[in-house]
Formats: sequence, C-alpha cells, structure tokens
Amino acid sequence: MSDLANTDYLECLLKSWSIKSTESLSWLNQLRAHAIDCVNTQKLPTRRDEEWRFTDISPLTHLPYQPSQSECNLQLHDIEHLTLKEAKNRLVFVDGHYSSNLSTIIDPTALVIGNLPEFVAAHASILESHLGQHVQFDNNVFAALNTAFLRDGALIIVPKNITIAEPIHLLFIATQNEVTSYPRCLVIGETGSNVTLIEDYVALQQTTYITNSVTEISLAANAHAKHIRIQRESTQAFHLANCAVSLAHASNYQSTSISLGSQISRYNLHVRLTDEAAECVIDGLTLISDRQLADTHTCIDHVKPNGTSRQQHKCIVDDAAHAVFNGKIIVRPHAQQTNSSQSSRNLLLSKTAQVDTKPQLEIFADDVKCAHGATVGQLDQEEIFYLESRGLSEKAARNLLTYAFGAEIISRIPVTSLRQQLEQAVLSQTQSN
Amino acid sequence: MIDRNSRTILSVQGLRASINGTEILKGIDLTVKSGEIHAIMGLNGSGKSTFAKVLAGHSAYEITGGSVQFEGNNLLELPPEERARAGLFLAFQYPIEIPGVANTQFLRLAYNTVQTKRGKEELDPLEFDDFVREKMKLLEMNPDFLDRSVNEGFSGGEKKRNEILQMALLEPTLSILDETDSGLDIDALKTVANGVNQIANKNNATILVTHYQRLLDYIVPDYVHVMQAGRIVMTGGKELALELETRGYDWVNTGKSITGAIA
Amino acid sequence: MSAVLQSLVNQPYKHGFVTEIESDIAPKGLNEDIIRLISTKKNEPEWLLLFRLKAYQKWLTMTEPDWQNVHYPKIDFQSISYYSAPKPKQKLGSMDEVDPELLRTFEKLGVPMHERAALAGVAVDVIFDSVSVATTYKEKLAEVGIIFCSISEAVQNHPELIQKYLGSVVPVGDNYFAALNSAVFTDGSFCFIPKGVKCPMDLSTYFRINTEGSGQFERTLIIAEEGASVCYLEGCTAPRFDTNQLHAAVVELIALDNADIKYSTVQNWYAGDENGVGGIYNFVTKRGLAKGINSRISWTQVETGSAITWKYPSCILRGDNSVGEFYSVAVTNNYQQADTGTKMIHLGKNTRSTIVSKGISAGHSNSSYRGLVRITPTAEGARNYSQCDSMLIGDQSGAHTFPYIQVQNNSAIVEHEASTSKIGEDQLFYFSQRGINAEEAVSMIINGFCKDVFQQLPMEFAVEATKLLSFKLEGSVG
Repeated sequence: MSDLANTDYLECLLKSWSIKSTESLSWLNQLRAHAIDCVNTQKLPTRRDEEWRFTDISPLTHLPYQPSQSECNLQLHDIEHLTLKEAKNRLVFVDGHYSSNLSTIIDPTALVIGNLPEFVAAHASILESHLGQHVQFDNNVFAALNTAFLRDGALIIVPKNITIAEPIHLLFIATQNEVTSYPRCLVIGETGSNVTLIEDYVALQQTTYITNSVTEISLAANAHAKHIRIQRESTQAFHLANCAVSLAHASNYQSTSISLGSQISRYNLHVRLTDEAAECVIDGLTLISDRQLADTHTCIDHVKPNGTSRQQHKCIVDDAAHAVFNGKIIVRPHAQQTNSSQSSRNLLLSKTAQVDTKPQLEIFADDVKCAHGATVGQLDQEEIFYLESRGLSEKAARNLLTYAFGAEIISRIPVTSLRQQLEQAVLSQTQSN
Repeated sequence: MIDRNSRTILSVQGLRASINGTEILKGIDLTVKSGEIHAIMGLNGSGKSTFAKVLAGHSAYEITGGSVQFEGNNLLELPPEERARAGLFLAFQYPIEIPGVANTQFLRLAYNTVQTKRGKEELDPLEFDDFVREKMKLLEMNPDFLDRSVNEGFSGGEKKRNEILQMALLEPTLSILDETDSGLDIDALKTVANGVNQIANKNNATILVTHYQRLLDYIVPDYVHVMQAGRIVMTGGKELALELETRGYDWVNTGKSITGAIA
Repeated sequence: MSAVLQSLVNQPYKHGFVTEIESDIAPKGLNEDIIRLISTKKNEPEWLLLFRLKAYQKWLTMTEPDWQNVHYPKIDFQSISYYSAPKPKQKLGSMDEVDPELLRTFEKLGVPMHERAALAGVAVDVIFDSVSVATTYKEKLAEVGIIFCSISEAVQNHPELIQKYLGSVVPVGDNYFAALNSAVFTDGSFCFIPKGVKCPMDLSTYFRINTEGSGQFERTLIIAEEGASVCYLEGCTAPRFDTNQLHAAVVELIALDNADIKYSTVQNWYAGDENGVGGIYNFVTKRGLAKGINSRISWTQVETGSAITWKYPSCILRGDNSVGEFYSVAVTNNYQQADTGTKMIHLGKNTRSTIVSKGISAGHSNSSYRGLVRITPTAEGARNYSQCDSMLIGDQSGAHTFPYIQVQNNSAIVEHEASTSKIGEDQLFYFSQRGINAEEAVSMIINGFCKDVFQQLPMEFAVEATKLLSFKLEGSVG
C-alpha cells in the first residue's frame, strides 16, 4: 500500500467534515479542530508500524465510507431481543446517532446520563477537562478521526459516593451499509462512586460498515467501575476501537471485553494508574472463526506506587481466523511496590488458525512484582483422558473443555442475562460435530 | 540458668532508636549474662521486634541514644556481618526467601565465614555435608532442605526450623529468637524448642521475643520482660509470662503484679 | 538504593590498555575501492570479491534499523577504518614466533593461549584486530579431519566449502549490519567437522579489538556434517578508548543430520566509563541452521560488556526433530544498554526449542529481552518453552521483555514465562546477619539467578563468567 493511497483515504474520510461553529462551544470546536490537525499529520498505519505488525488493515483503504446519516426507523420491538432485563438505564445509538425513542432513562436525578450534546452547556467545565483528555490521538489516527467527527455520544457522570446498583446498557446498533459510524462514550466516576457499564456493539444484519469508537473512563479516588464490553458486530464489519481509562488514588477498574464479530477488529485498551494504590483487573476473550481477524492491544501503565493489575486474555481461534494479542505492562520509575500479573492463553482449533501473542513488560522500578505468561496450544490430553474415563466421548470431552476455556472469562460478567447470552454464543461456536 | 559466676554477654543501657524520624525504642535497659534465657514479651507494636533488629544492626533504624556492649565491646559500631561473626545471632520473624541460592551453599558459606573469624578450620563441601546432616537430625529436618533454595517455597514452620538449624551451625554466644513460635503447630513448636534447649548452655545466652506464653512452656526463661511503647516496663521470673497470659497485657498498666516488678 | 548497595559496582575495566604494534591500516571510509583493497590484500578469489560487492550494493540501499530499544548517536560509517592488520615481522611458523608484545597483551588479558591452552586442552584461534595470527592444535585436529583455521586461510585452502556455505544462513542482505559485514569482513574463524567426527576438544577463539577507530567485522562459519559434534567458545575483550567502536560480526552455524553444535560466548568488550562515555557498539548477527534431522544448535552467552549490545543468536529449525537452545545472561551497569534475545523459527516436524534468558540491570542501565518464537504451518508437533527473568539492582535501571509468539500450527505448544525480581535490602541484611558481607551475598544471589545458564557453559568459562559478573556488579549493591 503506497503512502499516496494512504493520504487519499484519509482525505476521502475527511471530505464531509465541518465545524458547525457555535460561540459557546468554542472549546469543543477547538478539540475537533485539533483532532483534524492530528489526522492530517498522520498516515494510515501499515504492518511496518510496530503497533500494527500483525494486523493488515489495507482492505480499509478501498472503503472510504462516509459518516452515517441519522435515519433511524427502528422501533422498540425491533431491538427487544438486544435489551438486558437487568439494565434499567439504557442508551441506544443507531449507527452512532443517539435514539431517544429507543433509550430509557429511569432516574435522571441520581446521575448524569444521556446524549453528550444535551449536557455540553450545563457541564462545560467537567466535560472540557475530560472529553478527549484521556485518549491519545496524536499518534492514533482512528482516535483522532473519531474525535474530529465527535457529535453524539454516551455521557455518564456518577456523583460522589453514589452507587448505581443496576448496570447501565450502552447499546450501539449498526443498520446501514457502507458507512462509518463514530460512537463515543465518556464515563466519569466521582470520588467513591460505583457503577457497572455494558458497552455493547451489535448489528441487525450482515452489513459491511466501519465502526470507529472511542471510550474514555475516568475514575476519581476510591471510585469503582465494572466495564463489560461486547463486540458482536456483523462478520462483514470493521471495528476499530480505543478505550482510555484513567485511575486516581485507590480506584478500582474491572474490565471484561468479549470479541466475537467483525471481519477485522482492533481494540486498544489503555489503562493508566495515575495515583497510588489503584487497581485494575482486565479480562478478555476473543472467539473467532472463518477468516476473521481480531486484534487486542492493551497497555497497563503503572505511574505511581502500590498499584495492582491482573490481566487474563484468552483466544479461541477456529478455521483460518487470526487472533492477535499484544499486552504491554509499564512500571514507571518510582512506581515501587507495583504488583502486576498477566496471562495470555490461546487455543487453536484448526490447522489453519493462527495466533500472534506478545506479552510485554517494561519495568523501570526495582521493588516490583511482575510476571507474565503466555501459552499457545491445544486442549490438555490428560484432561480429555480424564473425561473419557468418566464415560464421555472424545468429541464431547473436547467440546466441554473448549467451552470451559472460554466460559472462565464469561463467568466473570456480573450480569446474569448477558452472561447467559454469551455462554450460548460460546457454546454454539465451540461445539464441533 | 542463673549463675553467680557468669559473665555479662550483653549490656544495653538507655537504648533509643527511630525509623524515618519516628522513635520506636525509648530507652531500653537490659543485661544478659551467660547461661541465661530471657523472654521479651509485648503486644504488636511495642517495639520488641525492633529491639531485636537494632541489636542485629538493621540499617533502617537510627540509633538516637544509649549504648550496647557485647562481651565488653561496643556493638553499635560494628556492621551487621561483624556482629554475626562476633557471635550474635538473630532468628528472623520473617526469614527472607533467596531464590536460586541453594540452602547448603548458603549454610556452608555462613558457617565457614564465622569459623574463619574464630580462627578455626573451614569445612569442605563433603565434611560440611556430614556436619550439617547431623545437626538436622536434631531438628528432625528432611535432608531435602539442603538442595532447595534458601527459604524459597518453605512453609512457615520449615522456615523457622531452618533458622534454628543455622543457629545450631553457627553456635552463637547470644541468640535472639524473634517470634520463632509464630506459625508453628504444637508438634513443630516442641521440635524447635527442643533444638533451642539443646543449643543453650552455660556459655551462651538466649533472648526469646514473643507475643504468647506457649513457647515458654517448652523453653523455660530465667527472666521475663514486658515491653510497652518502646520500654521494658516490667521484669519478673517465668511466672510473669503465665500471669500475662491469663490477665492480658492491659493489666500491666495497673501495676498490680504479684510476681513482677515494675521496671 | 542504600549507600551499602551503591558502594559496591564500579571497578575500573581491567583489560583497558593498548598494545603498541605497528598496524597496517586502510584509510578511513567505505567505498568499492576499499572493498577491492581488502579483497586484494587478502588475495581473494573473484567470487568472494563479487560477494562483497553485492553485499555493499545491498547495504547502500538499506537504512540503519531503529526499532531496537537502544539509543546512540548516529554512526559515521565513513570515519571507520575497515582494515587493520598487525604488520608481521616475519611469517609465523609457531607460537614462539608471535610478536612478544602481542603475547604480553594476551598475558595481561589472561587469554589461555600458551600453557593454559595446553593444560586446558583448548585450541585457541587468536584474532588480533582482524587477522588471525596463530592457531594452535591445528595439526592435532587435522588428524581427525577437522579443519579449524582463520576464515582467510580457509578461503585459500578450502574455497569450495566457503563458497558453498558462506552467506547460506545469513544472506548478504539479511540486515543492515550483516550486509556491512559481508562487504568488509576481514577475518574470523572457520571450523569444519566432517561426518561422524566428535571434536575431541573444545575450540576457542579470543577476539580482541585493539586499534582505536577501527571497526571489527569478523566472520565465523562453523559446519558440522552428519553425526558430527563440536563445542565452540568465543571470548571477547577490548581496550578502552573514548570513541565508540563498532563491532558488527556475523556468525553462521550449519548442522546437518544428527549433528550438534554448541556455541558459547563470554562477551566483555569495553562498556564505556561510569558516565557512559566510550565503549563498544556490539551489533552482531548470529544464526544457526539446524538443517538436518535430529540436529541441534545451542547458543549460550554471557554478555557483560559493550556500551550497546544488540544481538539475537537464532536457530532455524528446518530438520525434523531438530532442537534449538538459547541460554543467556546479560548484565548491564552504569549507562550500558542491551537489547538481546533470540529467534526460534520452527519449520520441521517435532522441532523443539528452549529459551532461558536472565537479565540483570544496575546503575542507569537498560536491559531488554526481545525474542521471537515462530511456529510455521509445517512445524507439526513443535514445542517451545521460554523463561525470561529480570533482576533489577537499584531504582534507576530498567528491565524490559518483548516476546513475540507467532503460531500457525495448532499442534504446537508454546509456553512463555517471565518474572522480575530485585536484590533487596532485606535479603542483604539476612546474609549479613549470618556473617556474609554484601559483596559475597550479591555474588551468591546473582550466581543463583544465573545458574540455569552457567550450567550450560564449559567449566573454565563458567568460572570466568562467575568472576566477571561479581566484578561487574561490585559496588552496585549495598
């Protein structure tokens, strides 16, 4: 792919971009203008870039899809099967555009929840200090593009010492063909707050489109958040996502991300432990087949002492699919007493399946405990034998163990109905005949 | 055993020590003579473990006052390894793990270093192996210990036995056992106590630092000291330990001991 | 880091002296004429000149790599002299005729060349700057059909072997520094073990860079034919100069069916001073081809020197059931940088590889492990186990691990583990309470940490490595 094609592609994407200037929103316009500048100084990454060496996104260069238009004709019954009964608060975005008809907000007084533009005026100062401030886009062309096209988005601010008991469902539905949508989420957990979020990407048909999403999460001291992210896009789709998380003193972030859909998907999760004693637990499961490619890049950045991180990422790869995991753990100078562990486990189900894994440690402090491990392999013969000796057929034993391999991650999702849906998905994909 | 003809091994006077500017030891006086077993008891945070570490020369503590004579010499001016070579032994409360260093290798180096200092012959690996196995029998230790890394993956009880084994090898003049009973079940406690009792003789002395009385059922002290807020506040005979066990440490403050004298 | 820890690392470099021997030095700079000059000086056949020129042309089209985790000012390749040979006063027939000044140098270095060589049963091929001056035991080895000589000699005497194998594992255009080496290499060692021969002694080369401002571009080629086996030892030292010197060697190993090559290195090039001035840039390409079935290639390295070390001794496991091994200890102190590791490319069926890497960083140094394990679709039943441990001494140093695992065959099993640890105050206190001083304690902990690697070294190398390490880290802990 030549640089020329690169430049052309980005130019095509930017054709429809314009700032709708409003005096009161000047900071937001500046942010978008800055993002455009960043896009202009960058190129579409190629496999020559270290961060993209396993993932070839050159097919994208032939698809300069324009931003989706807001033309939602969906009714509630069209999406009923996608809703979760535990989630009382639900924000629905169709092709990146907020749909108030499909959304339900139970208690707008307990927290700030809704579509970003509705709050820009009233919460300007807090938004200005968070929106676009956690995600890096000077070296990330997709995050820059998303920011440049920033319009609708999910905004959640959980006030100080408030616990939101029920999970909040952020549902992103793709309906149009050959468009790009730019979903955006901003979640702010104030001191001592607690919230559970489900960020859910789905498609109603097997359409071809690009999702380019950015999520920013900021947790103040002692705030807790559970973040469940489900990517079940159309298997024709391209999903490019960035999530940036910033953790203050003794805050706690738990993430479970599940990648099932898309032709090519890339998820960058960047967690910064910006103050002492912050904790994060990051789990991931990639379950792909056919010719899918799913790439997960995570970076856990221990900036201050006494932080804890634990990560487990699993991939189950069938047919000619290709899974990529790149997990970086950084321990900055003086981030002493950091305790970090990381495990990458991969199961290849077919001869043509492929996995690239790169667990990575960068450590600049001496009094730390860091360990990582990676395995690629098949099911344990001993375990199969054990099940066979209890009367299971070899096939049944394999199916059971494969299912269990994925179910370990799924079982950590604290939302029962979602867990059941995903267990079904894992079951149907892991059971060979 | 208390003996009129004994010599003074340790003499601590007005010892004060602090860590990061916080004073932990606030004037300790203690005299230990050969043949004696002393128990220092106190609640967590009373300063008893600090006292043990200060005597061994841990660099984290700053000596802010007082003096310590060890067999007539100024202990405080010696670096920790010199104190060890002079015959002061600390059995650690939390023996540290040293991955990759075989126990036997470590024990032999420590043994030979101390032997050389005493003007005695070093032992070669074969001689040492015989010697150490003999000592291990005393503590009912599995010889497998020798090939494992120092304390790595040892259970709490195994670590404590390993400490006492080192004590048996190094034949110190003064042994300080810091919470050696913690983490031991009753059988292990008996074994360890038996080891300590066999090592104790009229020429050396032992200081037991402990929170609970139960160790003292098996190693009978000549003196019991109660430590509180960085000072020894009461001293008595072995009965004092039992009294503490039944009446609790709070009672010390009321000053109505039957057996102990307020220091 | 406490004062005790700090007072322990910095002992001056012992091997820092210059031997005053008249050298025959080519003018600085690199162009086709210099390459022709080298080739002419060495009386090389036409095909080798063409090999060099092809490499040079390739090099011109390449750019210096910048992906590694090391930082250094740009190298001016035109300010390096590409040929430096001690002027022989006469043609050397035996060791006694070697320049006495040279022998004294080796003595100061502690090279086991003369008596020690004989006692230890080590045949030493000494490389002084770029020309091999003396080879011992050559005749004894010749009796069993082993060829062990400088590569220039081999070019003259065994051109068919050189032509067949040179560049067959590391192609001329493999990477920037390999291309440079292929264009300008002046000497190195050549070793050929014929079918069925087990080499009766360990072979050893001592490399040394002497002339200031001269690059060292040796080329080593080792071939073990069917059923042959050899242990090869390489030791490196360099005197101290304030300018940085470039060392860009290429080593190629070829193991045919059932052959076994074990290659051990103790590298102690000048590392620069405590402020990071001077020192060797050690950019080396080492690769072994386990070509035949059941063949085995094993790399063991102890890297303590060089301002910058950047190398990945690799194995291409082509033969079915072939085995690749990499055992490494890399120690960095002061401002040293090391980016080292290995590549295990599994092509054949049931190929196995083991990686054990131990990195120790002290002072302001940075040490990185970078390794690739690739299981290709044809590598049915391949296995890999990797273990990468880092130890940090002091809070100014860095340790990094970059393992790349690429698996394209579902019958493979790949396992990777990594951990970090430190030498802590509490550990040292524990030692000192048992009468053991900090230096001894550190040496004991380090040796324990590196045990798995040292076990792979021949006895006398293991002893040397152990000494080198304690020497190296003296004063960094305490």
